Amino acid sequence: MPAAARARVISARALTVTYGQRSALYPTDLDISAGESVAIVGRNGSGKSSLLRALCGLEPAARGEVVLHAESCHHRRTDVEIAYIPQRSGARWELPFSVGDVVAAGRRRAWWRRPGRADRLAVDDALNAVGLGELASRSVTELSGGQAQRVLLARALIQQPDVMIMDEPFAGLDLATVDAVIELLARLVEAGTSVCCALHELDIARSAFTRAIALADGRVVADGTAAAILDTDGVERIFTQRART
Amino acid sequence: MNGWWSWALEPFGYEFMQRALLATLAVCVAAPMCGIWSLSRRLVYLTDAMSHGILAGVAGASIVGGSLLVGGLLAAVTMALFVSLLVVRARVPEDGAIGVVGQGLFALGVLGVSLQSDPKALSHILFGNPLTVDRTDVAIDVALAVAVVLVIIALRPVLLATTFDPVHARTVGMRVGLIDATLLVTLSLTMVTGLVTVGVLMAVTLVIAPAVTARLLGRSLDSMMAIAVASGVISGVGGLLISYHAGLPTEPMVALVAVVQVGLAAVWIRPAGAVRRTLLRTRGGHQASCPDMAVTPVVTASRPAVRSSGRSRDSER
Repeated sequence: MPAAARARVISARALTVTYGQRSALYPTDLDISAGESVAIVGRNGSGKSSLLRALCGLEPAARGEVVLHAESCHHRRTDVEIAYIPQRSGARWELPFSVGDVVAAGRRRAWWRRPGRADRLAVDDALNAVGLGELASRSVTELSGGQAQRVLLARALIQQPDVMIMDEPFAGLDLATVDAVIELLARLVEAGTSVCCALHELDIARSAFTRAIALADGRVVADGTAAAILDTDGVERIFTQRART
Repeated sequence: MNGWWSWALEPFGYEFMQRALLATLAVCVAAPMCGIWSLSRRLVYLTDAMSHGILAGVAGASIVGGSLLVGGLLAAVTMALFVSLLVVRARVPEDGAIGVVGQGLFALGVLGVSLQSDPKALSHILFGNPLTVDRTDVAIDVALAVAVVLVIIALRPVLLATTFDPVHARTVGMRVGLIDATLLVTLSLTMVTGLVTVGVLMAVTLVIAPAVTARLLGRSLDSMMAIAVASGVISGVGGLLISYHAGLPTEPMVALVAVVQVGLAAVWIRPAGAVRRTLLRTRGGHQASCPDMAVTPVVTASRPAVRSSGRSRDSER
């Protein structure tokens, strides 16, 4: 189904992010539809992470707004559920927490509620979905980089998200794990989840995503199908030129 | 054998030693449980500074004739509040804010102590003495310790989530600031629990040392909690017994037993790791059946320094 025909699930309207006096993201408009896969590309410091963090509400908008279209939820909810997977390096992998406990942290519940049987089943389902069903009781200190990334994916899956937002999910992964993650994301998109990733791996952006948004100096400089945006000329334009101010 | 039993049990035939044991055990169970989270969330410096800052509240309460425990708790909460304000509002680095507020309150406390009619009257708050506690002290100690233990148990899932990845925790609706504040108040309660038994300066040892021992030996959060509590109990009982038989002050002895356990754990961890690796090797084929499995501990993930065209190899850990 073409993206235009699908219902919008999350939109940015003149979304602006500033850190003190410095603008990280200039007024930006974009719509992401249900079941759309979007790659956000650009050089370091181009505003990719700021855009993603603002979309999930982690970064306050200096101006503009993020609009969630609840009618597009595919899990019969009244709110759009956004799962955010930050860069792997942000978490405390050196602490001996169990994989199951870390995945359960993605499940929304009141702080006083202890994880129950339903929570444990949901953890098992999420771990099975990423191929780590056997590792629920293992300590996260004993995981490889690929397994750690899949644990973060499982933690996102347990939210049953309408939109999955990921910051550099392929960084530091071997080819087999990259393929496994791409396959999992494809299954999610097929089920109606929107996936939005910031990434530097342009060949993955071109082959695994339907749409690409290129940022430079905090501005959107290109937005269209991944194949068209990330052709040879497009890549050169994005990574060598600065945005016109 | 009888000699050992007699050595261990005979002191507790006295009522003052029974009270001392109860009061010390209350601190030695609650403090290590809190310590696991203090250590995991890198709050050790704050914990240490809090033990100094509490003196201001105790001295102030003594001057106005109020409860020393409530005074200590107020000082600890005030400290946590001011540190948060300096860090969040004035963007002062966290360790700088802790140093300034902690030392400021400590200075106020020293001033308050000097204004007492008998400046030595508050020395038991600094250094404690479990052998002089009465029934009321024991009841307060046990009640506070139970409150700390219940809070730590109830908050386990959210403490785990916000410690492992606070950014993600915010995205699933957890109020990270509120959870941090609750933990700080619980830490304050723990310090106050130690006021009359081991004293605030030694209480900080019971928060940190058993947690470090547990971190060295534990392989999961639950085993760390169990080891920390066991280490705390050994410190409490061992410290009481050694001080009784050797005629030495109790509170530093309790702290020293806790510190010695850290040393023993640090010495033990290398041969224990070697034994574990040997056992894993002799299990045979474990690695082969799980190709994506690493047995070497993971250090915090870092991005590869050099990226090959597009896709990058799994980073060396």
